[in-house]
Amino acid sequence: MTRRRLRTFALALVGLLAVAVLWEFYKLVGPQRGGEIFGWGILPRANDNVMPHVWDMFARYTEPDRRGSETRIWQTVLGGGWFTFRLAFLGFAIGAVVGVGLAVLMARFRVVERGLLPYLVVSQTVPLIALAPLVVSWGGRVQVGDFVWPRWLSASVLGAFLAFFPVAVGTLRGLKSSPPAALELMDSYAASWRSSLFKLRFPAAVPQIVPALRLAATASVVGVVVAEISTGLQGGIGRLVIEYARQATSDPAKVYTAVFGAALVGLGMAGIVALLDKLLMRGRPPTEPDIVMGATT
Amino acid sequence: MRSELVHPAVAVAGVSKVFNRGSANQVDALVDVDLVVAPGEFVSLIGPSGCGKSTLLRLIAHLIEPSSGNVLVNGKSASQARLDQEYGMAFQQAGLFDWRSVAKNVELPLELKGWDKKRRAARAREMLELVKLGDFVDHRPWQLSGGMQQRVAIARALAAHPPLLLMDEPFGALDEMTREHMQAELLRICDETRTSVVFVTHSIPEAVYLSDRVVVMSPRPGRITDVVDVDLGRDRDDDTREDDAFYRKIIEVREALRNGGHDTTVDHETVDPDAVGHPLLGVDDR
Repeated sequence: MTRRRLRTFALALVGLLAVAVLWEFYKLVGPQRGGEIFGWGILPRANDNVMPHVWDMFARYTEPDRRGSETRIWQTVLGGGWFTFRLAFLGFAIGAVVGVGLAVLMARFRVVERGLLPYLVVSQTVPLIALAPLVVSWGGRVQVGDFVWPRWLSASVLGAFLAFFPVAVGTLRGLKSSPPAALELMDSYAASWRSSLFKLRFPAAVPQIVPALRLAATASVVGVVVAEISTGLQGGIGRLVIEYARQATSDPAKVYTAVFGAALVGLGMAGIVALLDKLLMRGRPPTEPDIVMGATT
Repeated sequence: MRSELVHPAVAVAGVSKVFNRGSANQVDALVDVDLVVAPGEFVSLIGPSGCGKSTLLRLIAHLIEPSSGNVLVNGKSASQARLDQEYGMAFQQAGLFDWRSVAKNVELPLELKGWDKKRRAARAREMLELVKLGDFVDHRPWQLSGGMQQRVAIARALAAHPPLLLMDEPFGALDEMTREHMQAELLRICDETRTSVVFVTHSIPEAVYLSDRVVVMSPRPGRITDVVDVDLGRDRDDDTREDDAFYRKIIEVREALRNGGHDTTVDHETVDPDAVGHPLLGVDDR
């Protein structure tokens, strides 16, 4: 097992290296001012302003984030990443809870499924950018007792908005995938719907919930980053991307430090889901979860 | 002792079951069926696909309601008997839960009855020892062979010590050797626990070996055509299988099956309420 994991890790590293090598290779052979194929300008310019060297990107990390500043860029990016990560995690958590809740409701009442599912699908077609200012303004009006809606919460809510959907759909599918024989067995025990939910349907759905959570994790990062950018929320990686992109004409390598930071946030979320996967799939047969679908046959 | 002993384990009276009534594909799964199973008795239901034997089992289990007639289990209505877990059930597929250990699988019906943890664990161990799987308490179901999984399923079905065991081709997916071994084990277990059994099967030798009575059914419409008493005594072992009396009973059941099903062609148009997907008439003894 450890050998296999080592191999996976090495392969991932080789993949990353391959991308870097390809990048540098194109810089060597590609046209400096861009190129046309059959009159279509699709070949990107290979000059340093558009495609900075890979080592330049990484070299930026040790430089001050702005002139005369004590903070290095890596510190700023890491700080922004941590900020965004926390928001994305909260969004993921809210999305997962809402998604599972909706799935249970839909699995329990067919009316709810028929009435709600189409709207859930439609909800995902609303552009997030259009929704962001709305959520901020609604949030601004929320005040319950001493609780005042902080601006960052809007970003988490938008992350949750993207995250809940795959969880709801995946969990619903999973809840409905219990083998008929297993359902009949629970029936023969006169088990209540609640007992069969917790003792059969949920555990049987886990192999479908886990991939849904994986989708939700990355979706929540996208949601939060887009929300940071479109609501002008300070402190996160989304803001850094915009800020550094504005300096791209004078310092094209700098924006990549933030882009990599955003990727790191995504990796962090993926890591959390991998842990959840390990936890939830404990003691299950080491086969394709799609084939097994819960009960032994 | 148990006051239920005065009641028959199962009393089915005038039961009919119609699927899709009034529609083009109406199926008379069972017509006017009467069946009484005495306490401690082992009764097999045998017949070709579509004869309604699984339907009859499900009616006794109250997994479906009869269209007419009356089902009593241990003197109670079928619905009450299900609520009281008066029976345990085992299917062709063991249907164990992958995410539970072997012991936790056996504990499932006890959890639903609200037993506390200690009592459940003790009973699960007792049941697993009964089916000779005492060393596999903490294993996962998928680590066991098919025969062992089926034994776990039997332990689970008997965990709450129900007076009645309902089995729907539980050994149908096992190879012949394992199957014979499991049959002997089942007889031993039922003797030890004094459980009544209603057992659905396609196999004539299996029905004869296990049963006190073999109920022969025929399809279109599903009904009981014959009942064969198997007076081979209760002490049955591998020698029984080579006994002349055993063979005579096999022939008797075979004859009853042939006489019952006048229409011996397989009608693929007919909806099979058993849905066991067996392409041949049930007279094979694989």
